[in-house]
Amino acid sequence: MNKILFFAGLKEVIGEDFLQRELNGKTVGEAKAILQEEFPALSLDIAMTAINEEYAFDEDVIKKEDVIAFIPPVSGG
Amino acid sequence: MVKSDRYSRQVLFPPIGKNGQELIEKKHVLLIGAGALGSSIGEMLVRAGIERLTIIDRDYIEMSNLQRQTLYTEADVEEKAPKADAAKKHLYAINSVCKVEGIVGEATVELLESLMDQVDLVMDATDNFETRMILNDITQKYHKPWIYGACVGSVGMSYTIIPGITPCLHCLLQKIPLQGMTCDTGGIISPAVQMVVTHQVVEAMKLLVEDYDALRGTFLSFDLWNNHYQSIKVDRIKKSACLSCGAERTYPFLDQSNHTKTAILCGRDTVQIRPSKEKRLNLKTLAASLENNGYEVKANPFLVSVKIEDARAVIFKDGRALIHHTKDTVYAKSLYDKLLG
Repeated sequence: MNKILFFAGLKEVIGEDFLQRELNGKTVGEAKAILQEEFPALSLDIAMTAINEEYAFDEDVIKKEDVIAFIPPVSGG
Repeated sequence: MVKSDRYSRQVLFPPIGKNGQELIEKKHVLLIGAGALGSSIGEMLVRAGIERLTIIDRDYIEMSNLQRQTLYTEADVEEKAPKADAAKKHLYAINSVCKVEGIVGEATVELLESLMDQVDLVMDATDNFETRMILNDITQKYHKPWIYGACVGSVGMSYTIIPGITPCLHCLLQKIPLQGMTCDTGGIISPAVQMVVTHQVVEAMKLLVEDYDALRGTFLSFDLWNNHYQSIKVDRIKKSACLSCGAERTYPFLDQSNHTKTAILCGRDTVQIRPSKEKRLNLKTLAASLENNGYEVKANPFLVSVKIEDARAVIFKDGRALIHHTKDTVYAKSLYDKLLG
């Protein structure tokens, strides 16, 4: 199972600050598509993706127990 | 020069020591923004004994600032004092040796170019991405470090950008966000502000005392209410083709044609704001978050009309906006940024 964290505005769309989903073997791009299908209002286009606290590209493959975080750009100050 | 007791506890901290303190006292920091992040960053650095602080802020103090903008008081609100000016006065009372300059106005490319050679470090305390991208380009051009900081709700983030070494903000943002969550649309609690400030200032101190090995190196993101902390390694995102920090850089954000345009509409008390590139805003989300935050909103598929402060902002799907009841283009732009970030 993969723990997926959603920061800032993404959390408001999902309704939770994190989800558990089975994404082992999927690329980040595939994972985004799966989540966007489950949550049509979710927009992950400009969010940064991290896997186990390291920046992840869309082609990177998710492994068992990886912790994924989606971090949208935040502007306030 | 008389050495006072003022910094004794800071000098006792081994990574700083006497040598570090001497370095701090020679340094000039440029602070862009004197709002939530800015007032606390300014205060901490002035208390730490930097030689000079130059603050740029276009805004005026109002009641809703007092919840989180630590330098300001009810008296400032009554006076509608400009933030850069009030910050300078309060900081003088805290440390009269530090040379503080407060510039009331926009952080334009011209103004920044005139200052960059004399600064050692730039601190981000802004509220919109357009200014951040300008800061990102100009610090690359002048080879100065800058520290990104931002917050909304209970979330905050920070990243230290060192030209020639780390990825820059343009590398990190594949696309420049059309609209970000701002404190006016998403709310903000002061602990989130202070946590960002804390991380920005400690990284600043490491740079000021030149302890480069101690830098965090990661992009920090946290959510204090839900207890999440992510310290993300982002080195692999540095793009050799980046237009801001790459080999064939063009500094696109220093180009006037990439800036949002403002124009006072003839004969009307209205300022038009036009982004340099057409946006495609999500008007539904914008209307909903504004309503949730207690704003008076009228919306249809083409525009959102919202009463904000003494003005009324009408925002169109393409990012264009009309700010009614003002002829002040700087004020109008500040309202636009508060809504769209």
